[in-house]
Amino acid sequence: MTLQLEVANLQKRFGGLVAVNDVNFSLQAGEIVGLLGPNGSGKTTVLNMISGALQADGGRVVFRGTELTRQKPHRIAQHGVARTFQLVRPLPTLTVAENVLVSFAFGRYRHWGREAEKLVEEKLEFVGLEGRGRERVGNLTYIDQKRMELARALASEPSLLLLDEWLAGLNPSELKTGIELVQHLQGAGITILLVEHIMEAVRALCTRCIVMNAGQIIASGPSAEVLQQKEVILAYLGDDHA
Amino acid sequence: MPTYASLALVAVAVSTLAAAPFYLSDYGVGLLIGMSGYVTLATAWALFSGPTRYVSLATVAFFGIGAYTVAVFSETLPYPLVLLLAAAIGGTVAAVVGLSTLRLAGVYFVIFTFGLAELVRQTVTWWEVNITGTLGRYIFLPFEGRHIYWQLLALLTVTMLIGWLIGRSRIGLALKAIGDDEAVAAHAGIDVTRTKLVLFVLSATIITLVGAIQAPRWTYIEPSIVFNPTVSFLTLIMALLGGPMRLWGPMVGAVPLFLLFEWLSANFPNHFSIFLGLLFILIVFVMPNGVLAKLEGIRKGAAQ
Repeated sequence: MTLQLEVANLQKRFGGLVAVNDVNFSLQAGEIVGLLGPNGSGKTTVLNMISGALQADGGRVVFRGTELTRQKPHRIAQHGVARTFQLVRPLPTLTVAENVLVSFAFGRYRHWGREAEKLVEEKLEFVGLEGRGRERVGNLTYIDQKRMELARALASEPSLLLLDEWLAGLNPSELKTGIELVQHLQGAGITILLVEHIMEAVRALCTRCIVMNAGQIIASGPSAEVLQQKEVILAYLGDDHA
Repeated sequence: MPTYASLALVAVAVSTLAAAPFYLSDYGVGLLIGMSGYVTLATAWALFSGPTRYVSLATVAFFGIGAYTVAVFSETLPYPLVLLLAAAIGGTVAAVVGLSTLRLAGVYFVIFTFGLAELVRQTVTWWEVNITGTLGRYIFLPFEGRHIYWQLLALLTVTMLIGWLIGRSRIGLALKAIGDDEAVAAHAGIDVTRTKLVLFVLSATIITLVGAIQAPRWTYIEPSIVFNPTVSFLTLIMALLGGPMRLWGPMVGAVPLFLLFEWLSANFPNHFSIFLGLLFILIVFVMPNGVLAKLEGIRKGAAQ
């Protein structure tokens, strides 16, 4: 196993609130790890600091030996870290294909022209949007916008993918498709950090889980064990269920 | 795709426009100068502000810098060098301003650029009054109207060519992505700050050259003439009317509006700004994306 990502003593404060407090974890190549916790526990803040959307107040993020802390988002993307957003964020004036092309054109290997068009078509096919490249993103259904966003993230050819509740809001059959898509990514050798609330997805996908509450890691380890822990159930569901 | 037919069409159009001064009166040539000046301003403005949606009111700051550079140096330096110097000064000011302000979003950027134009005007005025001891300056360059027009036409052609190339390039895609969502663009690998800066400097440099080329036309200039904020507003409204997201949009807006404003200022000199204000409101309400987008919408509607 090779180390992909190392997060050490990560800190973030918003005014007086400590949103992320001394968070440490690491990801091995090819793993799918779940980052869980109730709303406001700091999961997305951690994701934002890894991807460069937020500056950490303390601590380090090291990706494949390169220090990413305090680098700009575009540099981090070019190093091979891609992300999706909690609420889908398509680029509305661009077509579906152009949305994906953006990441190919400016991502890790900077493709352009015929070659890039071909790659875009392949990515669209992979997420199940074959032949829809010329459509406006506004005309896509919610699940299709999510597919498009995944294609866009993959188009920067990352080795680490940060999925922020990418499976939220899908109906049961869409969820099944979504889970399969993520499994295919693992097959392609991409390491995935998954912020997720849907336990079915976490159980199906994640070999390991990290659980946060109030800005701190309260549990981590193999999914089956972690999800049984009393502290975790307490943090999620309150006293009655523990 | 650039077919030979469309290339030939452009060549014919440019040569026809270039030959126009031989068939027109002095008044006609004067109109052409004003019109090509504003078409170039609006097109250059839209290069940056169209896709990124950063509405700049600094147009006249750069326009005036161009005009003043010519006024100050035209007697001591050869003319081509003066143009180069003007472009360099305009580009440098844009780079400094851009680095410090392109982080500002939305309305703050608009206000800043408006303030910048006033700042430049007041600075030039102060300098002229207190340091050089004159307010106005004379420009004696042996140019006739048609010489100025040809220079503007050449600048416009180059500007359109640049716009066309940008539209087909990586940077064009980056600009559109930035206009849609800067955060998403950055996470896709786009260096947002640098892309905006490059385009802002390019656009400002062209605008500076328009001011420089047009300066000899006035013979006498002073800050209140070449730093008149109406230039910024007219440029903006022309680009908006045609549609700043399209290469031909600013031209489609600038030609009729320039003619309308000429007619208005000749016939209703005192009510000019009232019409300007009304037109602004009308355009924003009726077709916020411009005439070309409206026409496209109608055509699509008819096709369905």
